[in-house]
Amino acid sequence: MKFNAGEIASVIQQEIEQYESQLDVREVGTVLEVGDGIARVYGLSGCMSGEMVQFPSGVIGVAFNLEENSVGVIILGDYLEIEEGDEVKSLGKLLSVPVGDAVIGRVLDPLGNPLDGKGPVSTSERRPVEMIAPGIAGRQPVREPLQTGIKAVDAMTPIGRGQRELIIGDRKTGKTTIAIDTIINQKHSGVKCFYVAIGQKESSVANTIRVLEQHGAMEYTTVILAGASAPAPLQFYAAYAGTAMAEHFTYSGQHALIVYDDLSKQAQAYRELSLLMRRPPGREAYPGDVFYAHSRLLERSVKLSNELGGGSLTSLPIIETLEGEVSAYIPTNVISITDGQIYLQPDLFFKGVRPAMNVGISVSRVGGAAQIKAMKDKEVAGGLRLALAAFRELEAFAQLGTDLDAATQSRLDRGYRMVELLKQPQYQPLAVVDQVIAIFAANKGALDDVPVTQVGAFEKAFLQFMRDSHGELHSTIGEKKELSGELKEKLVAAIAEFKRGWKPAAK
Amino acid sequence: MADTTQTTTLDPARQQIGTVYAKAILGAAEKQGLTDAVLEELQSLVEDVVNKLPQFREDLQSPRLDADKKIALLERAFAGRMQPVLLTSLKVLARHGRLDCLRAILSEAHKLSNDIRGRIEVRVRTATPITSTIRDQIAQRLTAMLGKQVVLRTEIDAEMLGGITVRVGDTVLDGSVSAQLAMMREAAVEKTAARFREELTRFAVSTPA
Repeated sequence: MKFNAGEIASVIQQEIEQYESQLDVREVGTVLEVGDGIARVYGLSGCMSGEMVQFPSGVIGVAFNLEENSVGVIILGDYLEIEEGDEVKSLGKLLSVPVGDAVIGRVLDPLGNPLDGKGPVSTSERRPVEMIAPGIAGRQPVREPLQTGIKAVDAMTPIGRGQRELIIGDRKTGKTTIAIDTIINQKHSGVKCFYVAIGQKESSVANTIRVLEQHGAMEYTTVILAGASAPAPLQFYAAYAGTAMAEHFTYSGQHALIVYDDLSKQAQAYRELSLLMRRPPGREAYPGDVFYAHSRLLERSVKLSNELGGGSLTSLPIIETLEGEVSAYIPTNVISITDGQIYLQPDLFFKGVRPAMNVGISVSRVGGAAQIKAMKDKEVAGGLRLALAAFRELEAFAQLGTDLDAATQSRLDRGYRMVELLKQPQYQPLAVVDQVIAIFAANKGALDDVPVTQVGAFEKAFLQFMRDSHGELHSTIGEKKELSGELKEKLVAAIAEFKRGWKPAAK
Repeated sequence: MADTTQTTTLDPARQQIGTVYAKAILGAAEKQGLTDAVLEELQSLVEDVVNKLPQFREDLQSPRLDADKKIALLERAFAGRMQPVLLTSLKVLARHGRLDCLRAILSEAHKLSNDIRGRIEVRVRTATPITSTIRDQIAQRLTAMLGKQVVLRTEIDAEMLGGITVRVGDTVLDGSVSAQLAMMREAAVEKTAARFREELTRFAVSTPA
């Protein structure tokens, strides 16, 4: 440490000498009542909706309701220090958060204050929390894949950069795990990741952060946390604040990924605020504009046009359902806003199919545009969704105990092995080339004579073999991102070679 | 309760009612050319009677006393000692059960009569009492600035150390020393922190042995 007190004092002295006295002109009001994170303020006659106001204790609020006689203010901080009769001044600016490279690797609250004890966020750049999403001229269709590293997702519900893919399911079905795996898989892709934890248990967020650190993912990730004990206004604004931080990279031509975990809690926080503000309740007591709250948030996920730098913001909103009820208010809203959903089911989860994705009703409306050619290939993931759907039907039929002909039986066997292949342990994302090779091998029948319980071991050994003995072929696929006839022949030969040497482990 | 003498207590609903009645009472007084007299009497009624005799105030506001009794009470107390138009207004208020809004009516009536006469009330706050010459100067300057006849109300607040703050409606022009100091502190801290941030590398390498 080379600083000394004298130097600091001299810098401060300079600042004081250069300080120009200005008359502080401000609009003020008086607190009429305060409680539950909101205040009603008399006065502030020129205040605008969404404008920041400041209480005498230094706590910031946002003008939320402009009424005939008073202004409803939501308080972003400790409201217990505010008293009736306090003078409130309007600051004449919108709520903003610090942005830039300095926020990467940090754990922040929705106002950009550090929560990780690593000192202040050293950036002077700020960005308004609420921004209007770019219009049609500023956008282009989603065209590059965002690899999640999860076989089931990348093969069947591919996610593109700039897409919004909903992860929906009951509690404890692995929703967060899919998002975390995706973040871990962005390690060498240059995608900046933002994990917004809304209304989560602080212990589980601490665990998530630990996992991210263990996998070296905190180097390019920011966690924005408004825990279960945070006031409702902070929980509500966390999603917008995280988006603002991510947008900084999007608009500078880079790629960002944001996870909202989860939007059901955010909607509940908004409901709490709205009811306290006496806005009329609608369905399930949510306010009428809860749809707009989510649509304006998710519209900010974008693939920008080349003129604007071609940056992208991909979002993975998470919604928790109760007892699989996807037709509740908030789930249907968010399903209709997003470009597809990954639906996770508890019964699959407990059967050991993890990720517990229901292939039938999980979709990605962007589809093949978000896949590399090799993955799209008919002999790889091209027909996988339909094949699996057919398998599910056949499986249900087979349970009736009827005798099956050999052809049907072999299709069933292929299906069982394919389901087994799509299982994947958590925090182990797979490179897209490995995914392509594994699924190609399964489609070519390489697994047909492998016992179902040995599929995982076979896959692991086979991928290792491909990297070790056929490294050239492996990297060629990675470069060309396409499976030509010649490459396919080579792959088939490699599979045959591996199978000659591989024996299932003895039980 | 809302009806206390505390200045911070505001009741927007009551204030709105006050505006309506103030307009009506002033209108009636204006017709007879008695505006100033009525206003003065109303002020004296609120300050010298209602504020000082809680028992009387409670009687006037009590919902358990019916309107006729209240009117009789007003008649006995004020007949002959008050402008008839104000007494009638009070009786109307009693009939409507709005005697609890007297204070709001008074403050709104002041505002209205100021508006009508092109005057504006300005609150000036200083750390120490000011002389009448300075007071007049301030009033003159503000009158020129606002384009309206300024009615000054002065307050003393030792905590602002020095300088002056002027409040017109909801706008505050803060020239107090305490606010200047706070702003200077904020600017100095922020700019100093920014300067050190630029040289952050000098801090980074100190590893404990």
